[in-house]
Amino acid sequence: MKIIVAIKQVPERDAQVRINSTGGWIEEADLQWALNESDAYALEEALQLKEKHSGEVVVLSAGPGRVGSTIREALAKGADRAIHVECNDLERHDVVGIARLLAAAVGPEKPDLVLTGLQSDDFGHGQTGVVLAELLGLPHASLILHVEKTDTGLLVKRELEEGWFQEVALPIPAVLTIQSGGSKLRYATLMGIKRAKTKEVRRITASELSVAPGQVVILDKLSLPHKQKSTQILAGDAKEAASALVEKLRFEVRVL
Amino acid sequence: MMSFSYTLAESYGFSLWERLLFAALIAISIALFWRRFAVVLLKILHSRKDADFRLSPIGRRVWDFFWEVLCQSKVIRQRPLPGLAHALVFWGFCAFALVTANHCAVGLGVGFLNPGSAMGMFYFDFAAVFALACAIGITGLFYRRFLVQPRWLGRELSWESGLIAFLIFALMVTYLAMFFVATGSAAAHALWWAHSLTLLVFLPIIPRTKHMHLVLSPATVFLSRGGFSRIPALVGDEDFGLVAGADVTRLASLQAYTCVECGRCTEHCPAANTGKLLDPKEIILGLRGYLNEYGPASHEPLLGKYNQQEAAFQCTTCGACEFQCPVGIEHLPIIVGLRRGVVNTGAWEDDHGAKLFLALERGSNALGISTHDRDKFIQKQALPVFDGSQEYCLWLGCMGGYDPKGREIVSDFARVMNYLGTSFGVLRKEKCTGDPVRRLGNDLLFQQLAETNLEALSQSGVTKIVSICPHCVRTIQEDWKEFGTPPAIEHHSEFLARHADRLPQQKTDKKIVYHDPCYLGRYRDIYDAPRTVTSKAGQLVEAPRSRERSFCCGAGGGLAFLGEESGERVSHVRAAELTGTGADTIGTACPFCNSMFRDALASAGGRAPELLDIAQLTARGLGPADSN
Amino acid sequence: MSGIWVVLEERDGRMGRISWEAVAAARQLGEQTGAPVSAIVIGAETQAAADEASARVTGRVVRLQHSLLFPYTADGFTSALEQFFRAEQPAYAVFPHTYQVRDYAPALAARLGQVLIGDVTGITEGPEFTRQLMQGRLNGTFRHTGEGTCFLSVQSGAFRADTAGNGNAEVSLFAPVLEAAQIRTRPGECFRASAQTVDLGSAQIIVSVGRGIQEAENLPIVEQLAQALGAELAASRPICDSGWLPMERQVGSSGQTVSPRLYVAIGISGAIQHLVGMKGSQCVVAINKDPDAPIFEIADYGIVGDLFEVVPALTAAVNAIKQ
Repeated sequence: MKIIVAIKQVPERDAQVRINSTGGWIEEADLQWALNESDAYALEEALQLKEKHSGEVVVLSAGPGRVGSTIREALAKGADRAIHVECNDLERHDVVGIARLLAAAVGPEKPDLVLTGLQSDDFGHGQTGVVLAELLGLPHASLILHVEKTDTGLLVKRELEEGWFQEVALPIPAVLTIQSGGSKLRYATLMGIKRAKTKEVRRITASELSVAPGQVVILDKLSLPHKQKSTQILAGDAKEAASALVEKLRFEVRVL
Repeated sequence: MMSFSYTLAESYGFSLWERLLFAALIAISIALFWRRFAVVLLKILHSRKDADFRLSPIGRRVWDFFWEVLCQSKVIRQRPLPGLAHALVFWGFCAFALVTANHCAVGLGVGFLNPGSAMGMFYFDFAAVFALACAIGITGLFYRRFLVQPRWLGRELSWESGLIAFLIFALMVTYLAMFFVATGSAAAHALWWAHSLTLLVFLPIIPRTKHMHLVLSPATVFLSRGGFSRIPALVGDEDFGLVAGADVTRLASLQAYTCVECGRCTEHCPAANTGKLLDPKEIILGLRGYLNEYGPASHEPLLGKYNQQEAAFQCTTCGACEFQCPVGIEHLPIIVGLRRGVVNTGAWEDDHGAKLFLALERGSNALGISTHDRDKFIQKQALPVFDGSQEYCLWLGCMGGYDPKGREIVSDFARVMNYLGTSFGVLRKEKCTGDPVRRLGNDLLFQQLAETNLEALSQSGVTKIVSICPHCVRTIQEDWKEFGTPPAIEHHSEFLARHADRLPQQKTDKKIVYHDPCYLGRYRDIYDAPRTVTSKAGQLVEAPRSRERSFCCGAGGGLAFLGEESGERVSHVRAAELTGTGADTIGTACPFCNSMFRDALASAGGRAPELLDIAQLTARGLGPADSN
Repeated sequence: MSGIWVVLEERDGRMGRISWEAVAAARQLGEQTGAPVSAIVIGAETQAAADEASARVTGRVVRLQHSLLFPYTADGFTSALEQFFRAEQPAYAVFPHTYQVRDYAPALAARLGQVLIGDVTGITEGPEFTRQLMQGRLNGTFRHTGEGTCFLSVQSGAFRADTAGNGNAEVSLFAPVLEAAQIRTRPGECFRASAQTVDLGSAQIIVSVGRGIQEAENLPIVEQLAQALGAELAASRPICDSGWLPMERQVGSSGQTVSPRLYVAIGISGAIQHLVGMKGSQCVVAINKDPDAPIFEIADYGIVGDLFEVVPALTAAVNAIKQ
């Protein structure tokens, strides 16, 4: 089975993100970058499928030069080779624009399966995989926790809301967006990093793929959210505090 | 007493055929010795070279050899009575070497010690004293092995131990008996032969039993890596630690064949003492078994038939085994090496372990908590940020930065530093030092963490670090050296002890039992400084096992992050021991120990002693927090 | 090019609250543009849903009905809605941001040459749409440019369902052309994770108890709260160590790691071993008598008080609103 995993490099979870001087994007200098979390699960799923059914895992990532380190990390974890779509203004592409870039790179590879994370931890659109399927004309399933290969295609476990799940059968080739937490991630190893040195990374530029930035939807500006998390101590006697808490749980947290 | 009648230097008693027979027997005995010894020697020599091995500083090696081998210092200090018995046997052997050489020479007609000469007269008497001591010593050891039967020596009584003890005893007795028989008599003749035969039987047994240590341990002690728990750097692109026989280095092989199975390591091992699979002696013997079966070129995994992965990951790296070993075996490089072999290749599958590694791949601390949390703490406590103007960088560590209890320790230590007027600042970009991943054998992650931290420190211009965590101190000072030059670092106990005269003596008769953290004591050799500090806050009492023999809290070696342990919890055993001293307070000097004991005391129930770090004990003497 | 259309989502035969929240968002858009709000109900049988919808919108209600539209498939919904939108050419298409919408709406928008603005939390003049970036650390303002329908989905809870308003819209039927071969995925039955084992990892609400409970005999007061909240019961290590609760209910470094929507920590001081197991919770409530307990550092809401008084009061308050 030939599997392409589309991965994204995003600011590290802990990183201090600051808005840049134009207000249109974040200050990228001095920022630490990491592999997007649900993409890590997509990669893990692909590696497990390859271990079970043999085949090839190709990672695909769009972004500037810094993305190379994340690609190497994926190769170190066991991907066989990589395609790096070099693009220095990824944030100027809307969802469909990015999906077009990826689709142009995926097309000639003719994979059996395309996996990607459910959503990115930076923009958080959660759409790229689904749009990619649309552009490639492939069936898709989203929010997938587990993938099984069957005689006719795939049987996947899809997460629904409120603790429900659903099994979905679909033919291959197909696109799946993978939800975090469905499998156990492997850790990076020294052996993996050393082996990765010899693996192929093919670089193509966005202009070589002749994809112009999609601009149907534009990010105008960034701002800081108003509320900062801090502990609210609910005062009063036991009864008063309890009913104050129930109010909060009903109307602020909305869990009741 | 007796007339001096030692006759063996006179050759007239021997017929030609006797001489020929003796020569033949010597040849056979040596051949039998060599047949096994050569096999072992070749296994050692065919093992991989230790890339980082340097003979220098030779002074250290000579001293270790003199002190540990010749003086038997470790043998005696850590087990006084059996140690002394062993030393008597050892010294007896040393004194006997010349006698034995002469004895064989006599048999061949070329004796060189003339009992008539002053030298001969002196030496035979001199050796007799040692022979007597040796006979007493070996009797004592025999008594211990076969009648006392300490469980550390293993349940199975081996016939070979008995035989060897008998042979040594016979050697000494046949020598001493010579003093009581007439020169040239048939009895003397018979004794000579009895002595010779004992010797010739003894020789081939040596390389076939644990008595191999007679030959190897002097070399093992002399050649040891030195330092404590020194983990060798990996070499080249194909070195991932101890994966298979081909990765076993000469030192490791030598050590494996040197083990005398005395069980001191087992006796002090926290894992072996709490019902876990790990037994450090078995790790070494397992390695020997592997080398015997597969040899040093094999690609068969080391973890499998002879050593279990589960056992390798039960080690807290407390280092009691390595500290105790009288024959120079360095257990930790081997145990950590086995871990490296499976972690660096991804063969180790453990949910907790993977979680720890992923937390450090993606974040800054072993606990997997957001850095914002640390920033919030720094802000709340108004800890100054290091800007190059302060004297010290106060290294928080994961526990000091994120653990609520660790934060209390940091806050109190900061208070004491302010009180003393010492300037300090904390590093914003501090990450985990890599201690847990280093001990768990994840070299990739360790290197990344060490390099990132080294860079952050050098960018900030830090020259001196002080930390509340012995694990951080050790890792920064020793383990980071592989990747750069770390700034000078000291543990807060050292800092506090140096300023002890400026700290108030608290007037209280409260008893404080101080627990030696492994990474401060055995790893760093700091025992008195924290005691000096503790004494300022109360009346210091000692736990049954303290200083070098302190018993681990169970957290080290990354085990704090590996989830539930099997068997009894190490922390519970130690906490009960500390509580048993009747002290009002348990004084700690490591936030990991502190956190382990906190849980242990809580689940023990009943009246638990108070648990405080030495920084907290010190801060108490300064009065209420808001007053300064 | 006119009209604001909301695609409502049915769940268990009823419209979910989030559908009315989407209508509320659409109404806010309508106030800016002056266009009426219409609704689409979609499925194999849509009469009841259409009646429900008709009472809430002022424009029209369209029943997008076809036997192949049940059970839900992305292929079926995308194609049906594509046909309707090509015919209708609305100015805005508004969706509730549900898992189902996330599965097909991006593809639908792309097929119509558009881009969905997903998970919108606010609508301002322009209109401009606010949504969160960087996992909530930043807000971004997005704008639709060019021709065609503007697609957006709104975050659950971002708009108030009770502002959706009332109406009496005319209901009509739209029959899309669908063929079985178009539908490439075959959905199976929905199921819940087996309830036999304790699965704290997927629990939505967890009530967790620590040493403050003092005795095993006191556990029922916590169990009653868990029952009232429909929560799983969990504990810190000392409780499980003492055998008061089974080990599989232990949260922390040596137990389970949980990330519920609500975590109620009762009598838990907040040792690091515990914190690492529950720090991923979306909302943390701490009840402890020690105001300096570290658990308050990470709690969203705290009650400083005696748990033996607070917990029963809380149970009563929760039960009261359920009646």
